Amino acid sequence: MRELELFFGPQHPGMVGNFSITLKVEGDRILEAIPNPGYLHRGFEKLMELRNWIQNFPMVCRINVIEPDSMEAVYAMAVESLANIEVPERAKYIRTIVLELARLASHLFGAWAYANMLGFDTPAQWAMADRDHILDLFEELTGGRVYHIYILPGGVRRDLPDGFEEKVMHFLHALSQKLPDYNETFFENRIFYERAKNIGKIEKEEAIEWGATGQVLRATGVKYDIRKVEPYLVYDKVEFDIPTREDGDAYSRILVIRDEMLESAKIIMQCIEKMPKGKVYERLPNPFKWKIPKGETYVRVESSRGELGLYMVSNGGNTPYRVHFRTPSFNHGLFILPRLLKGASIADVGNIMISLYVVAPEIDR
Amino acid sequence: MDKELKRRIEEIYKDTEVEFPEANRMVLKTKKENLLPILEFLKREGFRQLKAISCVDWIEEGEFELVYLLSSLNTPLHIMVKVRVGRESPEIETIMKIFENAQVYEREIHELFGVKFRGNPDLSPLFLENWQNLPPFRKDFDTREYVKEKFEQIPFVEEKK
Amino acid sequence: MRRIQNEKLKVQNSKKGSFLSPFKAIKFLFQKPRTFLFPFQQRDASKRYRGFHLNDWEKCTGCGNCADICPNQAITMVKIPEIKPKPGEKNERPQIDYGRCCFCGLCVDICPPGSLRLSRDYIHIDHATDSFVYLPKDEKTDKEHFFSEDEYSIFKANLSHRKENFEGFVSDLEYTLFEPQRVPMKEVPPEERKLSFIEQVLGYNREEARKEAERCLECKLCEEACPAHLKISDYIKAIYEGKEEESLRKIFEDNPIPSICGRICMAHCEKACSLGRRGEPLAIRWLKRYTADSIKDYKKALEQKPAPPTGKKVAVIGAGPSGLSVAYFLRLKGHSVTVFDSLSGGGGMMRIGPPLYRLPIEAIDKDVNYIASLGVEFRFNTTVGKDVMFEDILKEYDAVYLGIGTTISRSTKVKNSEKCIPALLFLRENKIGKGFKVGKEIIVIGGGNVAMDVARTALRLQHMQYPGEKVVTKTVSLEDWDIMPAREDEIEDAKKEGVQFNPGWGPKEVVLDENGNIKGLLCMKVKSVFDEKGRFAPTFYEDKEMFLEGDMIIEAIGQAPDFSFIPEELFKKLEFTERRKVKVDENGMTTIPKVFAGGDIVNINLDAVTAIADAKVAAEGIHKFLTQKP
Repeated sequence: MRELELFFGPQHPGMVGNFSITLKVEGDRILEAIPNPGYLHRGFEKLMELRNWIQNFPMVCRINVIEPDSMEAVYAMAVESLANIEVPERAKYIRTIVLELARLASHLFGAWAYANMLGFDTPAQWAMADRDHILDLFEELTGGRVYHIYILPGGVRRDLPDGFEEKVMHFLHALSQKLPDYNETFFENRIFYERAKNIGKIEKEEAIEWGATGQVLRATGVKYDIRKVEPYLVYDKVEFDIPTREDGDAYSRILVIRDEMLESAKIIMQCIEKMPKGKVYERLPNPFKWKIPKGETYVRVESSRGELGLYMVSNGGNTPYRVHFRTPSFNHGLFILPRLLKGASIADVGNIMISLYVVAPEIDR
Repeated sequence: MDKELKRRIEEIYKDTEVEFPEANRMVLKTKKENLLPILEFLKREGFRQLKAISCVDWIEEGEFELVYLLSSLNTPLHIMVKVRVGRESPEIETIMKIFENAQVYEREIHELFGVKFRGNPDLSPLFLENWQNLPPFRKDFDTREYVKEKFEQIPFVEEKK
Repeated sequence: MRRIQNEKLKVQNSKKGSFLSPFKAIKFLFQKPRTFLFPFQQRDASKRYRGFHLNDWEKCTGCGNCADICPNQAITMVKIPEIKPKPGEKNERPQIDYGRCCFCGLCVDICPPGSLRLSRDYIHIDHATDSFVYLPKDEKTDKEHFFSEDEYSIFKANLSHRKENFEGFVSDLEYTLFEPQRVPMKEVPPEERKLSFIEQVLGYNREEARKEAERCLECKLCEEACPAHLKISDYIKAIYEGKEEESLRKIFEDNPIPSICGRICMAHCEKACSLGRRGEPLAIRWLKRYTADSIKDYKKALEQKPAPPTGKKVAVIGAGPSGLSVAYFLRLKGHSVTVFDSLSGGGGMMRIGPPLYRLPIEAIDKDVNYIASLGVEFRFNTTVGKDVMFEDILKEYDAVYLGIGTTISRSTKVKNSEKCIPALLFLRENKIGKGFKVGKEIIVIGGGNVAMDVARTALRLQHMQYPGEKVVTKTVSLEDWDIMPAREDEIEDAKKEGVQFNPGWGPKEVVLDENGNIKGLLCMKVKSVFDEKGRFAPTFYEDKEMFLEGDMIIEAIGQAPDFSFIPEELFKKLEFTERRKVKVDENGMTTIPKVFAGGDIVNINLDAVTAIADAKVAAEGIHKFLTQKP
């Protein structure tokens, strides 16, 4: 049979955002996959060198569209580490609640994408509808549905509005009642099991060598989560578990995601019970005149896709000198994906890609 | 355990400075020639994951600084290995033999900063197409000038002081 | 909630599945859907939503901080000619380009008066792209584009069809990006300071000055309000960066007497400061004092050299703020300057007016000595009209500047007022003369800054000369609290030290006892102070009277200039404005050729910094006059 070159382009419905792959196929088997990023390159790292420390923070959340809060959190933590700013206790609890709600929303979005791509329209729309509840909660807390611009260096931007905690508990309760439905129609569905089992299998040693993090690594049996290894915010004060699986294929990865959603709900409930009273914002110096002394730092956060890190260098000036985001999708999408696609069938391209939880804006920045 | 590691590194590799600026962070400054031996040594010690390669343009000193970020699954310590390369014709050996996934990071740095990595099989452009200018993340590339020339139909907003 | 914690992971048996599972989804048919039929059903945005902008044009000052902080440069300040700005505000308003705005709300968090807000409107549909560039107003000033609940229709939702009272993200003083509190200035407490003439304000140290200088938002409203247009934000930035010498250089470009002004200036800048709208204004005067005090030797720090000599000679009559400034500016241009003054040192009214607890003599001499070191010749103890004649000065010098100030105290001219003491005599004898013996109950007539100085000096002298005895100082002024012309902090300080005020009463007669000594003052209640044209024309209620006891009365109701040294025929040529000030043209020249004037005899503000502004104008005029001769 002859070899064909297919262009799996950026507007494909089975694609994760604006990202394209050039496939060399023979029949139904893929011989080689060449990823082709760059449709969403906005040059953030260069643009952030031209703006103040405070003017940068509305820009930072636009790097990852699905989960903007972890980007804001990592930028705020880096600036606080360079400038030695202490965050008040109550602000840490509020930040944890926001990050966990964002993780829930992102996992529901991933469930929508996966189910939609495979043809399970019903649970896909349920997941999207539940995510909409979370976006309503965010709108009430921060003023925007998708881009929150809420976590800034020094604390959070405003305090919780009245009645917010009850609404969050009500939402978590409603979500917990829907879980058996999700399980029956999607996660434990026989057809899905057949579709996803043994697809995109990664061995444990391979995953470690290839620099995988997040649920790609946890699905192969390694118990590694930055919230336990290097606890930040209040993760050392709440109890939660890290789910893992042994097989390392697409089915295990999606089950790890499902179990993580339950853990997130547990963390949010504990934070709401334990939250102290106090102020939530430590006033920052004048934004036009603030200069941070020379130094560099690397901070990391467990986002819903893996380890999100920020390497920041300051030269004693009004603006950052170099900002480099280490995003998990860069590694998973450009390095691991072509190796997994070799030998797979064309029908499984979307399957493998979404189970690796790659999003296009994170690759290009 | 961290101090033990520091002592051993400084013993074996001369011209290396090791510091602990914060909790769980180690910074290693070394020369270009020592890079591959040090990375192999660290990989044997258990730092098996390369998280990222980053590059900083120190234009006043005339050098690029390459930073290799390594981490391990057994300890929370995180290591940054820093080397300096001259700015005029920057070239360095690739580390793909030790860490396979360095290939994509080196490809990105080659496109955005212009650093050549000897031995990397694929250094084709990643984000930009038909780019004729300076590598864009260098400090002497002026984004405002570029926008003014290329997009004449968009009204230009003057730089505020 | 228990269910989440006890949820077991039951994946292993999933291969079985059940025949009925797909049918379970039917129950969702009977549930309320998540979506709703827009636009027939609507849902209001949340209370903190970040939508389109609203701006209160009455509170907005045109400072431009929102335009400075926008990360996308979406805001431009546009001149609106219809607005007549108050002093210290600009007639500009922000205009927002919604093609660039990202609705982050940083402009709301930095707006000092809190006039810029975000609303809950977010729909705008239009064919024309120009309509996306928008001057936000609000329902107070723009009734035709804001509609109430019943008139508003979602089908017409637009930037010109918005809902009223629909605020979203507003500014909150606890979370603003600027600091509303000032660094407090250490002062000697009232109980201690009223017993002596120790300087009241202790000054900032280096840390406090730096922290206070950090608050400045660089909006430059203060530079517009200052009569001399000093480069305030530049010198404050230099203090923040630790460069006091750079700061002094910036001040000396427009003001050669920072040590004096840093203690007694009226601070028009602080009234205009943006931070003062909802917080405390920046302490600009204290920062200038910090710069002047922290440098011991001005000459070494500034390194100013006069230009090559031009051969022209200028005479300056009066070594007050305007005279000193004219001498400084002209000397730097290379002319040879001689200053005449009847006192024994420089400073003019500053030397005798403000008491020692506000302006010590060392501070004045520091500034005057620097100006003398540049090559200006000072002839003290020389009164023009007695020691040297005005006509001789006119003949000998190429130009003359009159900075004579107002040196004669006015009198109320009521019955027996010749027994009262004029204010300037009282202050002068206390500060640089032989001292004064005071009575135990003193009445001060007047409500201005000089009256406050007199009252507080009298209080201190009473405590020093009658220690432990009961003494009191009272003031009587025509003006009531709301229009009292003295500075507010002076009135506050006087109250704290124990001065008793009687506002709204006018003097009728000084009552003497049988020996001819003062017994007290008979006052009558004031009906109004100004007439409808705004001129000074007090009216009284003749029947309401009050008697104040006292054994000494000091009149501090104003000062007048002394033109007696000008000979008759020249004085006839001198023209005055309708407010009885000397008339000068745009170069500062009076109607007598070669004679220029400035200071209290020309302007109506009657303070030091306006005198410096007049001096700058006159210096330019004199230089043009001297160098443009054919």
